[in-house]
Amino acid sequence: MRGPSAADLSLLVPELILVVAVLVLMLLARRIRQGQVATVGTVIAALTAGIAASQALSWGTISGFSGMFVLDGYSQFFKLLIAATLLLATLLSVGRRSDDGVPRGDYHVLLLLAATGMMISVSAVDLIPLYLALELMTICSYILVGIRVERPASNEAAIKYFLLGSFASALLLFGISLTYGLTGTTAYEGIASALYSRGLVSQPFLLVAIGLVVGGLAFKIAAVPFHAWAPDAYQGATAPVAAFLAAGSKAAGLAALGRVLIVAFGTETALLSPIIVGLAGLSLLVGSVLALSQTDMKRLLAYSSIAHAGYALLGLVAGTPAGVSATMTYAFFYVFMTLGAFGVVIALGARGEQLDGFQGLAAQRPAVAAVMLVFLLSLTGFPPTAGFVAKFGVITSAVQAGHIVLAILAVGCSVITAFVYMRVAVLMYMSNTVAPAPARFPLAVTAALAVAALVTLVGGVLPAGLMSWAVSP
Amino acid sequence: MTGYPVLSVTTFLPLVGAAAILLFGGGRRARWMALATTLATLAVSMPLYTGFDKSSSALQFVESAHWIPAWNIAYSMGVDGISLPFIFLSTLLSVLCVSVSWTAVQTKPREFYAALLVAETAMIGLFAASNLFLFFVFWELIVVPIFLLVGVWGGPGRVFASVKFLIFTLAGSVLMLVGMIALQKAAGTLDFRALALAREQLDPTTQGWLFAAFLAAFAVKVPMFPVHTWLPNAHTEAPTAGSVILAGILLKMGAYGFLRVSLPILPEGVQLFLTPMLVLSAVAIVYGAYVTLVQTDVKRLIAYSSVSHMGFVTLGIFTLDQSGVEGAILQMINHGIISAALFLCVGMIYERTHTREIKDYGGVAKLAPVYSTMLAFFCLAATGFPGLNSFVGEFLIVSGAFKTQVWLGAAAVWGVALGTAYMVWLFYRMVMGKPNPGLEGLKLELNARELATLAPLALLALCLGLYPELVLSYLRVPVAELLAFRGLQ
Repeated sequence: MRGPSAADLSLLVPELILVVAVLVLMLLARRIRQGQVATVGTVIAALTAGIAASQALSWGTISGFSGMFVLDGYSQFFKLLIAATLLLATLLSVGRRSDDGVPRGDYHVLLLLAATGMMISVSAVDLIPLYLALELMTICSYILVGIRVERPASNEAAIKYFLLGSFASALLLFGISLTYGLTGTTAYEGIASALYSRGLVSQPFLLVAIGLVVGGLAFKIAAVPFHAWAPDAYQGATAPVAAFLAAGSKAAGLAALGRVLIVAFGTETALLSPIIVGLAGLSLLVGSVLALSQTDMKRLLAYSSIAHAGYALLGLVAGTPAGVSATMTYAFFYVFMTLGAFGVVIALGARGEQLDGFQGLAAQRPAVAAVMLVFLLSLTGFPPTAGFVAKFGVITSAVQAGHIVLAILAVGCSVITAFVYMRVAVLMYMSNTVAPAPARFPLAVTAALAVAALVTLVGGVLPAGLMSWAVSP
Repeated sequence: MTGYPVLSVTTFLPLVGAAAILLFGGGRRARWMALATTLATLAVSMPLYTGFDKSSSALQFVESAHWIPAWNIAYSMGVDGISLPFIFLSTLLSVLCVSVSWTAVQTKPREFYAALLVAETAMIGLFAASNLFLFFVFWELIVVPIFLLVGVWGGPGRVFASVKFLIFTLAGSVLMLVGMIALQKAAGTLDFRALALAREQLDPTTQGWLFAAFLAAFAVKVPMFPVHTWLPNAHTEAPTAGSVILAGILLKMGAYGFLRVSLPILPEGVQLFLTPMLVLSAVAIVYGAYVTLVQTDVKRLIAYSSVSHMGFVTLGIFTLDQSGVEGAILQMINHGIISAALFLCVGMIYERTHTREIKDYGGVAKLAPVYSTMLAFFCLAATGFPGLNSFVGEFLIVSGAFKTQVWLGAAAVWGVALGTAYMVWLFYRMVMGKPNPGLEGLKLELNARELATLAPLALLALCLGLYPELVLSYLRVPVAELLAFRGLQ
């Protein structure tokens, strides 16, 4: 074993950019009185990290750090997505923290560090760095959820999230140790070749190991039955933090899950498939049905995000590269439409956090209502929005794998979620009672909404370009 | 041929117009911009009719471009003799929708006309699409503007009606989505023509399941009995323009789906489901007609009459007989003209009286002779009066039905008789007799704009009644090809 070389560090450029931004902000934290300094710094870091990641999209596969870390199309795709999540979440945070008494510098440091963890996790090809990276992300998330220290709701959410999160981390760690015991390695390639050569298929321990690893990762994407934290955490957190978690944690979790399933346990499709089918089916059903009765927008979007985890998992059911590509496309579009929907909630301030707050919005803010309608249609999966392309891809891969019943369940749930989302549209467009007009919101929020809406619409009409990037590892 | 891609320009011009209205259509400009857009759309579509070769069953005005190569899906458009009349109807009715909304729509005119134009794009695109994916995109696209048209500008029960419409159509179309994906898995393509060639690879069981999946979507849109219950709500609560689009075009989408997908691609599935389809059609005709008889709300009455009339259409399609299918397609056009005209008539008088109850009318003939003449004309057309358009269509369908099964023909004739009863009775209650005191002092007579809105439809009804070849000549070759599978059985 040799230490990391300079060549290894060059694989970490996007992560290093974020870490440099973290260090600068930490040094300046005490001096930062104006929120704009931290915001501008984070925006610049996210942009440069995103550009750095996109530059390497077509470099092919380069591995480093003794084969623990890889730079390939898959990882760069997700790093680009994580950089975009960070960028939009930062923009959406503008003008909100000062009201909540949140320390400005610390908030951005935590966002940056969580994004760094996400980025490392999508490049990890060994279970140990994967665990470390996901812990970095999750621990920052706990603090972000509870960052409004003087608020009991925020504390409660953070504690719930922390307890369930630690439990899930323990599951993941236990799964990793079992896998190590069975295969003698934690490297994905090593696990795959050990499983292939020794034919461990019949071992019940292997099922337990795989189940625990998948369960630990399913927590990150809030798939049922590992979903209980999401509604409480989203509700207790500030809306921008909830948006960041809903988009970023899910993207990173899906990326990790996809790579583990395809590379490490790729030979065990017969064992994996029922687990993923169960997770996907339950998430679809529970997420869409429980979303029906929600009156708090953040809880509603939380249950919606659980249902979307189910859709995204449909791509992984088959265990084929085409299916993983479909999940990647789903994750990409999901991030933008979810950040967009949260963005509208944020733009409307306190009013936007309640479902009733959307009453009569179309009359007061026609543009905001129209943008929200686009996100809602996309979340429902209406063409020609990106949500439809995403849904078409994952359902195709479920049907290709022969899971027709699951596909019918998925489209049936999309009728249920249509009811959920269209309830918001009905309130916006068809309600006569009008709440007091919302305050103006900062330009940064407008910019974030515009970017999200643009991706949602253009991605739906011309998805071919993006889909050509979405290549499975 | 012309120098521009006619189908794409015709399809997307309304969308451009909608965007322009949203951006620059403040105040009274919106309706002018909408009128200009719909007229321009009608104008740019003209080469379709002058340059069309009726003797060929091939797709014409074909356009194709790469779209989503990963799924082997292209952006491909093309029309044949079956789709062409519907494009004309869509572009024409859109102009009339703008015209009838001229003074009726006072709230949020910008959004109203934008939604109307998006719906126009979806209608035209659906009939111009030559692959199933694109077809599905337009199929779903129309749901959103109609949902908004009904829910925002509709009557008192608009919210319930719009949500019911949305859930019903969505429940149907998601099964079509699964069917479409399964079809792609089985045949490797979604292009209509290629699918029709690949149908031999699909075994009868698969075809049966696929037929059922597509049936869910098509039956809701037609609507067939028993999934018609969204229609009375939506038609009744919709603003006039919304009712016109619903009755004129949206109901035709389902039947068009049968012609475009079920018959050519899933012939074995059609054979499996033939009897239930015929029975359901006959039930829709007779049941729909009886329910129509007892309605007290004018719009609801016309809405239920659509259930009965669309029963004729599905009956004609599933006779799988040349004259039956030709009659069904002709009757789709006819119904598009007549029910649209009837909804226009009702909308025009509703704008003055603000009531849809039949008992609030009576003696309109004395107060508004021109209006009453127009209404009489369209009521007669709806009953299948000889010399007017419905007569030919119904005659062809009934003759096709008699050829298939005698009892089907009997049910159809029964439906025609009931249809005469409810239309004449409606006319009698609204127009004849002493003027209702509630109508005193209202200026009920049509103005020039309204007359000009109804005139094209009256003219079409008369021309198609006297010379049905105007449409039938387009249908002969493609329908013969559509039914060619019967020879192979």
